[in-house]
Amino acid sequence: MEADELHTDGNAIAGLLQEIFVAEFTTLERTCQSCGDRNPAGSHRSYQGAGIVMRCPNCGDVALRLAALPDRLVFELLGTWSRPVEPRPSGAALR
Amino acid sequence: MSPRRVPLTWRIATLARLQPETPSATTLVLDVPDWPGHLAGQHVDVRLTAEDGYQAERSYSIASSPQDSQLALTVERIEDGEVSPYLTSELRPGDPLELRGPIGGYFTWQIGDGGPLLLLGGGSGLVPLMAMLRHRVDSTSSVDATLLVSARSLDDVLYREELTTLAENGVMVRYTLTREQPPGWTGWAGRVNAEMLSELGAEPNRHARVYVCGPTGFVEHVADLLVQLGHDPHAIKTERFGPTGG
Amino acid sequence: MNAYPALTETETRSRPVVSGIPPRSSLNNKTYRCDVPPISRGFFGRRRTDVDPSRIPPGQYLVDDFPVLSAGPTPYTQLDEWTFSITGLVDEPVTWSWEQFLALPSELVRKDIHCVTKWSKLDTEWKGVSVDVLLDNVDTSADFALAFCDGGYTTNLPLAEMTDGQAWVAYEYNGEPLEPIHGGPARLLVPHLYFWKSAKWVRGLDLRDHDEPGFWESNGYNNHGDPWKEARYWSD
Repeated sequence: MEADELHTDGNAIAGLLQEIFVAEFTTLERTCQSCGDRNPAGSHRSYQGAGIVMRCPNCGDVALRLAALPDRLVFELLGTWSRPVEPRPSGAALR
Repeated sequence: MSPRRVPLTWRIATLARLQPETPSATTLVLDVPDWPGHLAGQHVDVRLTAEDGYQAERSYSIASSPQDSQLALTVERIEDGEVSPYLTSELRPGDPLELRGPIGGYFTWQIGDGGPLLLLGGGSGLVPLMAMLRHRVDSTSSVDATLLVSARSLDDVLYREELTTLAENGVMVRYTLTREQPPGWTGWAGRVNAEMLSELGAEPNRHARVYVCGPTGFVEHVADLLVQLGHDPHAIKTERFGPTGG
Repeated sequence: MNAYPALTETETRSRPVVSGIPPRSSLNNKTYRCDVPPISRGFFGRRRTDVDPSRIPPGQYLVDDFPVLSAGPTPYTQLDEWTFSITGLVDEPVTWSWEQFLALPSELVRKDIHCVTKWSKLDTEWKGVSVDVLLDNVDTSADFALAFCDGGYTTNLPLAEMTDGQAWVAYEYNGEPLEPIHGGPARLLVPHLYFWKSAKWVRGLDLRDHDEPGFWESNGYNNHGDPWKEARYWSD
C-alpha cells in the first residue's frame, strides 16, 4: 500500500467513534472482509473526505464509512467486528 | 484490564499555567473538575468557540501521568494553524477550555501491561510516550524502557531535561535530529533507519511492547522498518497525527 | 453535537451564542453547563471575511489554501497506464490514452468551488476537456452517469448536470499539472455542485438510464449536492 502522509488512524477519530458507538472503539478488532487480516480499529487508516473512511491496514479495503449529519449518523461497517465483554458462563444464550 | 468506560461529555477545564517547552511548543497545565482519570497514551479533544458560535476542534495527547492531579497537554504551535496558535499564544491562566476525554483504548500503556517498552516518537509524537514514561516513574517501575526521539533540531526536542534525567536513571534514550545538529553532535542525524533500530536493540525476539507515534509519514516509515526487522505488524501500536504531525 | 472530527483543518459551526446571556461557566465554585460552550476569548479562526457574500453559498466560509480531502490513499497512476473511458449505455465504448486525451480540445476555466465540509475557494483555475467534448464521441440515450476512479471512488450525476458547459475532466490546476493529492493525473470538475462530486483520480464515466448513488451519496450525502440550496445530506 502506498505510504500516504495525509491519513491518520482510528485513534484520531476515537472521540467521534465513541459518540456513535457509546463505547471505546479503538480496541474493537476487525477481521477484514477482503483479506481476512485481523486488526484493532485503532490501527486502521482513517481518511477525511466528505465524511470519514476507515481502511484495513493490510489491504486498504473499506472498513467503515461514516457521515455525521446534523441530526443523525450514517455509517456502514464492513468486515467482522468483535469486542471483549465480561466473561459469561458457556452455554448461556444471547438474549 | 480494559480502560474504564465513562460517558464522553464535554467539560470545562481551567488553564492553571503555561509551561514553555521549546520555541514552538507549550504545555498547558489544566485543572479539570471531576476528571475520571486516564491511561498513558490517551488524548483529549479540545474545542474552541468564537463569539459568533463558530467552532474548531482538535485532539491533543495527554502529557501528564495518570498519577498527576492536573492534566497536561503539550501543544506544538503550527504555522497557519487555527487552534494551536490560539492555545499557545492567547490562552491565559484562569481561562476556560472545553475538552472531552480521556479518549483512546488502543494506544495505551499501564504498568500492568508489562514491558520491555520500545517507544519511538517523531516531533510531538513524543507527548503520549512521555505520559507512559512518567507513569512508569510515578509507579516506581523498573520495566526496561527504550526511547527514540526524532526531532528537527535539538531545540525542538520536548522535555529535554526530563529525558536526560530518565537516561541517567536507566532508560535508554536516543535522539536523531533530522534538519540540523549542534556543533559537536555525536548523536544520530537524519531520518530513522534500520541501523539506528538495530543499535537501539529493537529486535523482535525481545518481545517488547512497541509504540510509534508522530506525523503520519514518520509512523509509516518507522513501522515499515520494524516490520522489515522482523516485527509482527500486529504487535506494533501506532498513532498517526496526520501530515503536520499535530 | 459536533458533526466534524478533529482530523484535518475541518471546522464545525454551532448555533450562535445568544448575546447578553453569559455562559454559566462559573469556575470558582465549580458549576458549569456544557450545553453552552465557553467562549474562547479572542478566537476567530482562520476564516476570511473580505469577500463578496453573494459568492459564498449558505453555511460556507472562505479559505485561501486548498484543503486536501480524500476517501483513501493517493493513487499514483502512471501516465502510460492511464486511460479515460466512456462505458455503459453507449453504442460503442470509447477510451482515450493520456496522449490522446491531451490532444482533445481543452479549455481554461476559472471557477469557485465549494466543499461540503464548509470551505469555499474562489477563482480556482483549471485546464481540462469539457464533458460535452467527451460525450460528442458517443451515442447514448442515457440520463445518468457514474464517475469511476482509481482507488474505487464513485459519484453519480445526471447527464443534464454535466453538459452544456457545466463539467470538465481537468488535468491542470493553476497552470501546473494537477498534483496527485488534488486528483492528478485528472479529476472530474463539476463546480456548481459540492466538490465531492468533482471526483479525484477519475478514469471514466459509466452511462446509465437509472441513477445509482455513488460512494458518499449512498452513505448520508445528498444525491444532488447543490451548495446554493445547501443540499449537503440525505435529509436536505
